[in-house]
Amino acid sequence: MNFIVARMEDWDLAAKAVADRLSPGSILALSGPLGAGKTTFVQALARALGSKDKPRSPTFSLVRAYKTAHSAIKQLVHVDAYRIESEQDILPLGLEEYLEDPATVMAIEWPEQISAWLAGQTHVIRMQIEPDKGSDVRRIRIA
Amino acid sequence: MPANPRILGIETSCDETAIAILEVGKTLKIVKNLVSSQIPIHQKYGGVVPEVAARTHVAESVSLITEALGKKGMDAFDAIAVTSGPGLATALRVGIESARVLAMLSGKKIVGVNHLEGHLASAWLNASNRKKWKFPLLALIVSGGHTELVLMKDFCKYKIVGQTRDDAAGEAFDKTAKLVGLPYPGGPQIAKLASLGNPDAFPLPRPMMNDGSFDFSFSGLKTAVRIAWEPWSKMEDARAEQAKRDLAASVQTAIVDVLVEKTMRAAEKYKVNGVLVVGGVSANASLRERMEKAIKERLPKLAFLPSDRAYITDNAAMIAAAGYWRIKKGEKHDWRKLDARPEWNI
Ligand SMILES: Nc1ncnc2c1ncn2[C@@H]1O[C@H](COP(=O)(O)OP(=O)(O)OP(=O)(O)O)[C@@H](O)[C@H]1O
Ligand SMILES: [Mg+2]
Repeated sequence: MNFIVARMEDWDLAAKAVADRLSPGSILALSGPLGAGKTTFVQALARALGSKDKPRSPTFSLVRAYKTAHSAIKQLVHVDAYRIESEQDILPLGLEEYLEDPATVMAIEWPEQISAWLAGQTHVIRMQIEPDKGSDVRRIRIA
Repeated sequence: MPANPRILGIETSCDETAIAILEVGKTLKIVKNLVSSQIPIHQKYGGVVPEVAARTHVAESVSLITEALGKKGMDAFDAIAVTSGPGLATALRVGIESARVLAMLSGKKIVGVNHLEGHLASAWLNASNRKKWKFPLLALIVSGGHTELVLMKDFCKYKIVGQTRDDAAGEAFDKTAKLVGLPYPGGPQIAKLASLGNPDAFPLPRPMMNDGSFDFSFSGLKTAVRIAWEPWSKMEDARAEQAKRDLAASVQTAIVDVLVEKTMRAAEKYKVNGVLVVGGVSANASLRERMEKAIKERLPKLAFLPSDRAYITDNAAMIAAAGYWRIKKGEKHDWRKLDARPEWNI
């Protein structure tokens, strides 16, 4: 599945399509360079899942959980591994505990930082956001 | 509580392990102020490392508490203030567990303090600020993880009137620095280069500056800086070096413009008597100077109340001070029930 995001509204179209593919336990691995729009996408995803909250960048807080209002998905956990350098450092984030909840989905920015942990997970959906050179346009690829 | 209570402050919410003892009388006396900075580790790793941080917090907090209490032991303090949020539960609990044990053994009062309230109190540690301290006040809290405008109606009575909708101001400094190839932490690097650059060289956006709200948005700067830097990124000559300085100056000015403008407008709207500027980014000289100048020119009756440089970064003296505010209001917590509040809003 591919999307081109030229206007801000396009994020919502992409997020709706992704939301339809998510089921409880899904982990969305969001790759892309600094400022690509990973957090912007998670904000659109929160809207698509009926959340009242607007996620902020979790780069410093590392992990944040948001209530959603979707038939099967009740919680969106937003993780940012940007500052995580070593795999053991994700232990204190308690990601597994979040995933034990039967109605949770997780979106992870900078998943390359914790690739070994991710390799041990099932239900991973990989998504790549690439900005076009010299412009505001973004290309989204979902594996 | 004695007439001049001594508050033991404990802070482990993020990068630093910090322990302090603050004596509150007619004047404030910072009896002890120990900070065991972990910056060298983080520089090596390029960021805060939670697992490493939590483990070092444990070792450091024991040795710092031992050092702070000295021969007096439990007689060195009359009450305990510990940061209980916001932050990573694992790191917070290191400080909280120490505090609980001390409260149980000593039978003394304990209060859980919000880290952001600690930042507010950092401005109150300064004697000349305390003289000008008259509610209502407005505080700009700016750090790597926070950008908030807080209306302070009284001690312990706050309202967030504006905040970032995406990236924090400190995050904007760090990430734009990274985009032009500067090392972590990017804020000080940008400031250093900015002093040699032309702030008008690159036209960067001032997001939400005139939208009427007191909210902020800094994530768009990453896109603007990426596009501005693209033509220069492969070059290494003197012109590219100057372009980097110019871009640093343009970024700093864009961020400071918005911070100052929104703070001034909020100060005007809420008719406050003074403006606090606290948190890690308040170390930025340009922000301090321009905020002070804007107050002098536009709202000259207002007091400018920045925290001392010594108390800008995470420390426990500010936690002890905020704890004192709480205790004075009659607040105390049961050590058995005190726990981390990772998502605690001020
Ligand atoms: N089509 C578009 N037109 C204009 N601006 C856009 C467009 N798409 C995204 N943006 C802007 O680009 C920025 C993307 O920043 P965002 O913080 O979401 O990126 P990120 O991938 O999460 O970065 P980081 O690596 O720092 O986490 C936002 O400010 C967003 O508004
Ligand atoms: Mg992001």
